[in-house]
Amino acid sequence: MDIFLSRLFAGTTSGAVYVLIALCLVMVFRSSSTINFAQGEFALFTSYVTWWLAGKGVNIWLAVVPAILIGFLMGALAERWLVRPVRKRDETAVLIVGLALFTGLNGLSGWIWGSDEKPFPRMLPTGEDTYIDIAGARLHYDTILIVAIMAAVVAGLTLFFNKTSIGLQMRAVATNPDSAALCGVRVGRVLTLSWGMSAAVGALAGPLLVPLVPPGQLGLSSMFPVLIFATAAALLGGLDSIKGAVVGGLALGIGLAMVNGYVTFLGGSMSLTSALVVIVAVLLVKPTGLFGARRLERV
Amino acid sequence: MKLPVIVERGTTPYRAILAAVVAAGVLAALWGSGLEPFEQGQVTRFMIYAVAIAGLNVATGYVGLLSVGHSAFLGMGAFTTGILVVHQGWEPWATIPAAFGVCLVAGLLVGLPALRIKGLYLAMVTLAFAVAFPELVARFDGLTGGSSGMNIPRLSMRPPEWSGFTLGEKDQWLYWLGVVVLALTLYVTHCLTRSRYGLAMAAVRENEIAASSSGINIAVVKTLMFGLSGGITGAAGALFAIYMGTLFAEGSFTLMAGITLLIGLVIGGERTIFGPIIGAACVVYIPYYTSSIGQGQGSAVLFAVILLLVIFLAPSGIAGALGSLVNRFVVVRAARPRTAPPSRTGPAVSSAEPERGPVLAP
Repeated sequence: MDIFLSRLFAGTTSGAVYVLIALCLVMVFRSSSTINFAQGEFALFTSYVTWWLAGKGVNIWLAVVPAILIGFLMGALAERWLVRPVRKRDETAVLIVGLALFTGLNGLSGWIWGSDEKPFPRMLPTGEDTYIDIAGARLHYDTILIVAIMAAVVAGLTLFFNKTSIGLQMRAVATNPDSAALCGVRVGRVLTLSWGMSAAVGALAGPLLVPLVPPGQLGLSSMFPVLIFATAAALLGGLDSIKGAVVGGLALGIGLAMVNGYVTFLGGSMSLTSALVVIVAVLLVKPTGLFGARRLERV
Repeated sequence: MKLPVIVERGTTPYRAILAAVVAAGVLAALWGSGLEPFEQGQVTRFMIYAVAIAGLNVATGYVGLLSVGHSAFLGMGAFTTGILVVHQGWEPWATIPAAFGVCLVAGLLVGLPALRIKGLYLAMVTLAFAVAFPELVARFDGLTGGSSGMNIPRLSMRPPEWSGFTLGEKDQWLYWLGVVVLALTLYVTHCLTRSRYGLAMAAVRENEIAASSSGINIAVVKTLMFGLSGGITGAAGALFAIYMGTLFAEGSFTLMAGITLLIGLVIGGERTIFGPIIGAACVVYIPYYTSSIGQGQGSAVLFAVILLLVIFLAPSGIAGALGSLVNRFVVVRAARPRTAPPSRTGPAVSSAEPERGPVLAP
C-alpha cells in the first residue's frame, strides 16, 4: 500500500507539471489551431532568466516576475510578427516557424548562458523532514504545493475565460473567428494575447518544474521531454479543452508512474515510448481526445 | 534576344543543357575523389544527408505529409546494416538494399495512420516514432548494443574484391558508393515526380477530395510514397552506418536529427530536385564553420534565422528561388503537341499550353 501511495504521489507531481505545460499548448491551440513546438523553449528561455536573476541574489519568487513578463512579450511578439503572417498560407508554414523558434531559442539560451547543466534553486521547500506521513508513504510538501499552484492556475484561467470580457472574447474567437470579428471582437489582438498568456504561464511553470524533472538541473534539453509529455496529455484530454488538459495531464503522470512501477518487462526506461503510444492511440481512435470539441469539415 | 529563352524538351538545346548538368555532376564527383581524407569525409557526410533529405522530400515535399521523424528511418537503416554486418557477416555495400527494404516496410506501416490523420496530427505521429526509436534501441540492447552503442569492426568494412579498392582505401570506396546512391536517388525522384505518380502526388497534396474524385487512390499514393520516402532515408542510414562505424541511437538518431533533416529540406527547397543537395550542404557545413561562434550554439541560431528568412522571403527554399531566377532567362517546358496546326500559334493556344516546371524546380 505504501509503495502504491508513493507512486501515486510521484505520478501526481509529474502530472501537475504536465498539466501546466499542457495548459499553455491548449491556450495556443484554442486561438491558432496549431501546436506550438516552441512552447517548451519559451519556458526554457524564461527559466534561464529566472536562474540568472536568482544567481544575482534576487529572491527566486521575485525573479519569476520579470521572467513572466519576458515570456508574455516573447509569446505575443512571436504570434504578431512570425505566426500571423504565415497563418493564411498553410499549416506546415506555422509548424516550420515553430521549429525555427524551437531551434533559435534553444541556441540562444546556450549562446548566452552556456550549454552546461546549471544547479537550479528550488522554489518549493524540500529536505529530510518536509513531508506528511500517510500510511507509510511520504507526501512531500513540494507535491502539495505544485498541485496547489496548478489548481490556482486552472481556477484563475477558468474564471478568466468565464467571467471577464476579454476571456469571453477569446472563447468567441476559439469557436468561430469570423463571427467573433463580425461582433466587434478584435481577433488579432485576442490571438496575440492568447500566445502571450500561454508563454507567461510557461514562464511560471518552468522554474517550478526544472527541479522536479530529472536530472533536476537546468540544461538545454530540460524542457524537451516535458513538452512531449505535455503534448501527449493535451492530446489525450482534447487539444482545445482546459478540463481535458488537467485530466489528461494527471492521468498521464499517474498512469506512467504506475506503468513504470508495475509493468516490469518495459524495464522502467520506456516512459517516453509509453506516452507516445498514448498519442498515436488517441489520434487513431478518438482524434478529439476525451473532452475536445468535434470539428466538422465542410466537404 | 527576347527573354526568357524557351527550351522545349526533346530538342537539341535541351539535350545540351542536360548533358552540361550531367557533366558538371561527373566533374564535381571527380573533384571530390581527389580531396584530402578529412575533407572527403565531409563530402561523404554531405552526400549521405542529401540522400536522406531527398527521401524526406518525397513524403513531405511532394505528397505534403509533414514528417519530423525521419531520423528514425535513418537510424533503422543504420542498425539494419550494423546488425547484418556484425551478426550475419554481410558485406556492407550489400546491406544498402536490405536497409531500403526494411525501411520501406516500416514506412508503409508508419504511413498507415496518414490515411486518417492529417497535417499537424500526422506530424505528432512521426514525432512519436522519432522519440520512441532511441528508447526501443536501448530496450533491445542484445541486438543493437543498447546505450553503449554498436561497433562495426573495421575489418568487416573491407571493400569487395571486384571494386579494386583495398582496406586502406575504404573511405574512397564509401565516397564512390555515396556518389552512386545519391545519383540514383536523384534520378529516381526526378523520374517519379515527372510520371503519372508525380501528378497524383501533387493532386493529393493540393486537394484530396478533388484528387479522389479524379480517380486517384489516395490511400495507395499516401502509404506507398511514405514507404518509399522511408526506404530512401533508410538507404542513407545504411551509408551512415558504414561512414560512422559506431552507432549510438541516443546521439545520432534522436528527434533532433529528424528536425535537422526537415530544416535542411525547407531551407534547400521542398519539391525541387536540387533542394536536398543545397539543404544537405547547409546542415553539414554551417555547423562546421560556425562551431566557434556563440559557445557552439551559433549554428542553431543561424538556422532559425535562415528558416524564418526562407519562410518569409522564399517559400520554395533556396533551390526554388534560384529556379525562378533562372526562369527569367531560360524556361524549359514540354514540346507542343504535334497535332496542333502550325498556323494557329496565337496567345490563346499558348496560354492553354500546360506550363511544365523549369528544369531546376520540377
